[in-house]
Order: sequence, then structure tokens, then C-alpha cells
Amino acid sequence: MKSPRRVRWVEWALLAAALAIPPINWFWMRMDPAGAHDFVGPLRQVLIYAVLALGLNIVTGFTGLLHLGMAAFMAVGAYAYGILTCEIYPFQLSFWPALGASALIGTVAGLLLGAPTMALRGDYLAIVTLGFGEIVQDVLKNLDDITQGTQGINPLPGPVVPGYAFNSQNAMPWYYLYLGILVLVVVGCRNLEWSRPGRAWLAIRVDELAARCMGIPVVRQKMLAFAAGAALAAIAGAMMASMLTSTGEPANYDFQVSILALCIVIVGGMGSITGVLVGAVAMIGFANVLLPMLAGQLQARGLVSQANVFGNPNNWKYLIFGLVLVLMMRFRPQGLLPRAGAARAAGKSP
Amino acid sequence: MSALLSVQGLRARYGAVEALREVSLEVRAGEIVTLIGANGAGKSTTLMCLSRVKSIAAGEITFEGRSLNEVPAHRVVGLGLAQVPEGRRIFPRLTVFENLEMGAYLRRDRDGVAKDRAHVYDLFPVLRERSRQAGGTLSGGEQQMLAIGRALMSRPRLLMMDEPSMGIAPILVARIFDAVKRLKNEGMTILLVEQNARAALRLADRGYVIETGRIVLSDRAPALLENPRVQEAYLGE
Repeated sequence: MKSPRRVRWVEWALLAAALAIPPINWFWMRMDPAGAHDFVGPLRQVLIYAVLALGLNIVTGFTGLLHLGMAAFMAVGAYAYGILTCEIYPFQLSFWPALGASALIGTVAGLLLGAPTMALRGDYLAIVTLGFGEIVQDVLKNLDDITQGTQGINPLPGPVVPGYAFNSQNAMPWYYLYLGILVLVVVGCRNLEWSRPGRAWLAIRVDELAARCMGIPVVRQKMLAFAAGAALAAIAGAMMASMLTSTGEPANYDFQVSILALCIVIVGGMGSITGVLVGAVAMIGFANVLLPMLAGQLQARGLVSQANVFGNPNNWKYLIFGLVLVLMMRFRPQGLLPRAGAARAAGKSP
Repeated sequence: MSALLSVQGLRARYGAVEALREVSLEVRAGEIVTLIGANGAGKSTTLMCLSRVKSIAAGEITFEGRSLNEVPAHRVVGLGLAQVPEGRRIFPRLTVFENLEMGAYLRRDRDGVAKDRAHVYDLFPVLRERSRQAGGTLSGGEQQMLAIGRALMSRPRLLMMDEPSMGIAPILVARIFDAVKRLKNEGMTILLVEQNARAALRLADRGYVIETGRIVLSDRAPALLENPRVQEAYLGE
């Protein structure tokens, strides 16, 4: 099964837009230094959330396991990156080894949670992952000898690339680096989709009994999906920690983050890699880039005072999110760009 | 001839309910054996136990001289025991071709897989015509053919079929049973579970009758067809 031409076209268009945005933003800031808004910095969050949601897409989209605790694995990645790089700890690794180690630690955490729970099905697994998400937050908060409690671990170093030093004043190099990481993740997910594990995941999602009859080791393949998802979440966490130069407080990795990742996957289209990318652009781009930009512009032009609660677009975020989700589920439940074959199943022509 | 599959004193339960009380049977290489019985007698449970999808409470399952009692479900297929599950359970969104590929999940010999696919297409030409069509768009009978083909793709030495005639147009049932006969002539060993006792006994070499989880009768198939007890209970005479 190959992705239809339409989907590939969307993917290339997204990449072209992603490459073109920073120069456009730079040009805008040169032309109108007072009124322009830097949106390249916030856009990095779209890239990070895309990695997180692609991880969830392996678990929920490919394999059909409802996972409500992705934020916990993001936290594992962020704190692993923090402990491995921060100067107050003995390890003091640099960006790339720490990123790899975070992914590895995330994988191990995924396997540790997966081993006792993979025999569970449906709602039960969802509840266990939900509980795990809460536990991880509490552990990070209370284990303050190691995790610095609610202060978070900081300062953390940025990426290292030969011949260039990253600094938090200039977001553009981070943006391109993170875009590169995302492209690698997308290529990896594409290859996974129709690999042997990918086909096993599909069979398990559609019909677990039939999958067993094919000789597919169901529990082992579910664990593999779980571990792969956890690894990507941990990478997203490490990217976030490096970008913020801090792990932030444990509450930054709460249930809302897990739900946001799930919404990205559902809005984009379960199991559709391109869909998840579109979902990340739509949801995070809207909430973290578009709304703050709008708020800034309104205030800068004196149209709305800072004291006006209703006039601040940021405060409308969750109302709009909720409305969009309700409308989506009513009129386009398969997501913006559903997985190839979903139309076939609905009896429409491909 | 020694038995390919031998089952001794098999017992299984769903919670407190005993589904199988005493199932002993034997399948020898190259024969078609049928297990007939009423709804809920334990036919499907027996197959589920044999493919190790269902756990067993007691008894001994031996396949090619090797005990299957401790073998997990996903290893059974690799050992040469394939099951066509009840209700077909094909993958509706995948094409016919992809469904067959799924059946060959454990295999890495591409040439062998291609050869077996050609054999399946040969057995059921309609599958070749529809190879690029989604499995869910096939008729019930064609889906059953696909389910059988998918099981054959693992190149089993024993093929277990659960109610292949269920809910299928009579003309397609005849075609499926013809294919089963042809498989036997090619040397395949088949364990066939059926509610349609007459058709199954006409096709089979030997048969077992199961009632409330117990094998109550076993004989050569033609003899079972003549047996008054079978005639009364299962053949409606």
C-alpha cells in the first residue's frame, strides 16, 4: 500500500513552507522592527509536538492502543537530558549523546511500563497509562534531591554543531535543526509503517485474534510499539528541555500535554503520518503561534488593552479547541488527512 | 500410520463453565477429519485450544510427536498448524494481495511465498481477479476463500477450518468444499469443524461427533452417515 499522490504532495508543501518561513519572518522584522512579531521561536514547539504526536501515532494510530500518558515519557526524556547535561551533575554530556541517551532511557521506561500492562486491553490500558502519567509527575516533584523538585533542572546546554554556537537569542538555527530531526523522524515512521513490525501492528489493530492466527507475537509487538512511541516522546522531551534551557517544572508534563498529543493525532487522522504533521501545524500552530501573535498585534496597535480579558485571543484558546473538536467529530471523524485505505474501507473509491 | 495430531483428554473452561470435558481425537497425515456437533458443543473451543489461543485446563496436545501444551499461540503457526478462524476474520481494509501477505507473516522465503500465492490464486481464481480489491468488498464466500488462502500462505502441514460454510451461498459452499478436496488430493491434512454435518461427512475420511464438550462418537465418515443416531440428530432424517 503506497501513500496516495495527494498525501505526498501535502508533505512536500509542508516542508517547503517550513523551509521558507524563517527568511520571510526575518524580512518582516527588518522591514518593520517595531511592529513585527518573531514567530520562528514559537514555531519550534510545533516541531517538538509533531515528534511527540508521531510517537503517539505509532501506539494509538498504528497499533490501536489508547495511550493517555505520553507526557510522562516526554518528562522522562526531558529529565534524562537535564541530568545528563546539567553542570550540577557528574555526567555533563553534550547535546547529541544526551539526546541519544534520552531516547534510550525513554525506550527502557516504555518497556518497563509495557511489560506488566500489555496483556491489558482497551480501556484498561488507557487507565494504566493515565495513572503512569500522574505518578511520573509526582515522582519528579518529590524526588527533589535528584530532580530539583518544582524548580526543574537548569541551565541546560543547547545543541552543538561544528562551526556554530547556538544561543537563545537567535531561534532560526534551532528551528532548522529541529526541522531536520523531525524530517528524520518522519522518514523513520514511514519505513516502520510497512516494515514487518508495522504490518504486525496493523493486524493487531484490526483484529487481534486474526493476528494471532497469522503467528504474530501479539504481546511482543505491542511492547515494541509502546517502546518506539516512548522513544519518540523522550526525544521530544529532550528537544523541549534543550530549547527552554531547563526541564521546567514537573507540572509542565501533565495530562493536558498527553491529551493535546492525542488531539493532534485525532484531528490529523489516526495512523496517518502526514495527517499528524498537519494536525500539529493546525493545533500547536494555532495555540502557540497564531493566537499569541494576534494578541501581540492587537495590543501593539492599541486596539485592545492588556486589562481586557475577553479581548485577549489567548484566553479563547480552549473554547476554540473544544468547538473545533466537536465539529471535527461530527463532520470529519476520520481526521483532516486520513490514512490511506480508510476511504476504501468506507466503501468509497480510493 | 502414526498420527500427525493427537489430542488426549482435553479439557477447557470459560470461568466456571466447562466447555470441553473430554476431547480425544487423532488426525493422520493426508486425511480429512471432521468434527461435527451442535451449536455450543465445543467445536470452536477445540480448535482454539489446538491453536493455543485458548488456554487448556487438562489434557495433552501432540503435533508431529511434539507436545503443544507449553507452546505459545504465535509459535504454533510456525510449527505448521494453521487455523482458518470462524467468521473468516480477514482484514477488510487491506487488499486481497495484502491479506495473503499477512498470512505469510512469519516467512522470509520470497520465492516460496510467491509460489504459494500462485497456488492460492490457482485454487480460487476469483482471488487473482480481485487481488487489488479491498478484502471487505468481497462477498462472504469470496472472503472465506481469502481466509483459507491466507491460512495456506503459512505453508501449514495441518489446516484447521472452523465452519467454512457458515453464512455462505450454497453454490460457493460447493466450490469451497471442492477446493478442500483438491487440497487433500495434493497431500494436505485437514481438520474441518462443521455444523453442516452432511456436507462435511461426504467430504471427510473420518469424523468425530462432539456433544456438550465430549466426543461421543467416532468412525469412518461413510459409516457415520449411515449411523441412525447421527442421522437423527445431525442429518435431519
